[in-house]
Amino acid sequence: MAGQTFAQKVIARTIGRDQVQVGDYVTVSADYTVCQELFWPSHKANLERIGVDRIPRPDKAVMVIDHSTSAAMGSHHCETHRTLRDWCGVQGIENFFGPGSGLRHLVMTERGFARPGLLIFSDEGNIASIGAVGALNIPISTEVLVSLISDENWLAVPPSARITLDGSLPFGVTARDLIQTIIRDFGTTDRLLGCCVEFAGPAIAGLSLDDRQTILASLFHSGAYTGVMPVDAVARAYVEARAAGRPYHVTEADPDAAYVLEARYDLGALTPMVTRPPDLHGAVAVGEVAGQRIDQATIGSCSGNRIDDMRATAEILRGRKVARHVTLYITPGSREVYSAAAREGLLEVFSDAGATVLAPGCTTCWGYQGQLNDHEVLISTQQFNYQGRNGSRLAEVYLAGPYAVAAAAVAGQIIDPREMLAP
Amino acid sequence: MSDTKLRGSIWKFGDNVSGDDGIIEFSIIREGFGKAFDEDALRAMCFRRLRPEFPAEVRPGDLVVGGSNFGHHNHVEVSVAIKASGIGAVVVESCESGIIRRALNVGLPIMICPGIAAAVEDGEMLEADPATGLVTAASGRVLHARPFSARMVQVWRAGGAIPLLQQEFAARRAAAPVG
Repeated sequence: MAGQTFAQKVIARTIGRDQVQVGDYVTVSADYTVCQELFWPSHKANLERIGVDRIPRPDKAVMVIDHSTSAAMGSHHCETHRTLRDWCGVQGIENFFGPGSGLRHLVMTERGFARPGLLIFSDEGNIASIGAVGALNIPISTEVLVSLISDENWLAVPPSARITLDGSLPFGVTARDLIQTIIRDFGTTDRLLGCCVEFAGPAIAGLSLDDRQTILASLFHSGAYTGVMPVDAVARAYVEARAAGRPYHVTEADPDAAYVLEARYDLGALTPMVTRPPDLHGAVAVGEVAGQRIDQATIGSCSGNRIDDMRATAEILRGRKVARHVTLYITPGSREVYSAAAREGLLEVFSDAGATVLAPGCTTCWGYQGQLNDHEVLISTQQFNYQGRNGSRLAEVYLAGPYAVAAAAVAGQIIDPREMLAP
Repeated sequence: MSDTKLRGSIWKFGDNVSGDDGIIEFSIIREGFGKAFDEDALRAMCFRRLRPEFPAEVRPGDLVVGGSNFGHHNHVEVSVAIKASGIGAVVVESCESGIIRRALNVGLPIMICPGIAAAVEDGEMLEADPATGLVTAASGRVLHARPFSARMVQVWRAGGAIPLLQQEFAARRAAAPVG
């Protein structure tokens, strides 16, 4: 019997089998289904069309208002907030998190819903960030409604790839620089398409849980379906503090599991990266775009909104000012991150530097806030850089880690952030 | 002849076609969140950046053939746009897993069929059967895509996930004892 990968084992456990084969179509009842608010009006209409009064497992639903963190003038999202809140009340869904709670990615880990070995249906590929605690994200998009209504849905057991990490991040280099490098290498190939990527190797012990979530949140831009990190002592301690007695199953791939691709990265060889518009695979060393004037900088989104990102931002901003022609928005990813940033005095650093701190949520990443005019230039820790993502199709979006974004906000142009960091 | 077999004229596209910023434009997604899909606007936009004549000239039942990494970065509106254009199926060299689900849920089959890009030309006729995975080029050459599962065929034939659930819940209610 061939060895089983992490994904095979988690899926097999969920359906009560000893093993499953890659490519098998199976019907699974997920441990949780997590859903955001934006599609809720059409979900609600579909529920009525189908004639569903009660969902079978309200305890498995995690509903989070994270994309539209406030009901702004001219926005119809206030109706969505009301409808979703009321529906959760009627259904007895206790795991409802209203505006400002944070991104559902963080809600899932911080509140202990995502736990090792659990299978979670979600509406987005970037929720693979929950793989940092050994949970398997299966993104099913708007089909979360099927899972909520039926307490089951189909999936095809994905193939797996393994990326081994060696070495440690050099001065001024972050986990974001690693994932931008991986996306550069794989984004235009089909080598990771449909895969669950298992990260492995000695370097992981040196990466914080925030680093691991940053890598996994952006992983799907490489074409991968989902991903996971090993559950080591760091992850186990985090989970144990939040599981509150709820079960979990630390799951490791068999040593002879089959991978469709193996790759290695030496973290020590990485350098600060900036991804040029409009392609997600367009990462180059920061020096190649140094001098590019910017109008706006944003720090936030599921790939750059955790406390490590806030600390990195403050390292650059402490005692400095945002350039006069630049607007800097900073979005802590959750209430927990917001509180931690307040406790550590980081919010004061941001405000003193001239940055605007927004409520926890997706905010600037999808252009809900911080819209761009024609020909304006943004540098951001967000996920996407294609035309029109943040307003005008004639605006340009560069992507980078928190050091590079904060440094650009201060300099008014893209610069190597190491010039502003104390060695 | 299987009733799952589709036959249509090919619109052929290359490798690495973006969904949100290629097949359609992201602005329509962002502005449409929380509203019913604007199928007319999506149809008018579909593939126009790559083939400006597509919206006017596409005919019901035409098929799309794509290269590697087809439709990367896509919201469900991308699938709605292709479906609303009348396309019967999309046959690609490779694509990410998410677009297959999103498309299927609105009743559009996407088949992964290695070798398709080299085997066919734009404008040729093509036969494709999502249930069996058999894809037959105008030359007579037969390629093998991964067949859909029985459930996927059900979803597709019902016109998407919601219509299927509608049927299944109606049947369940009809079978339940009254009172």
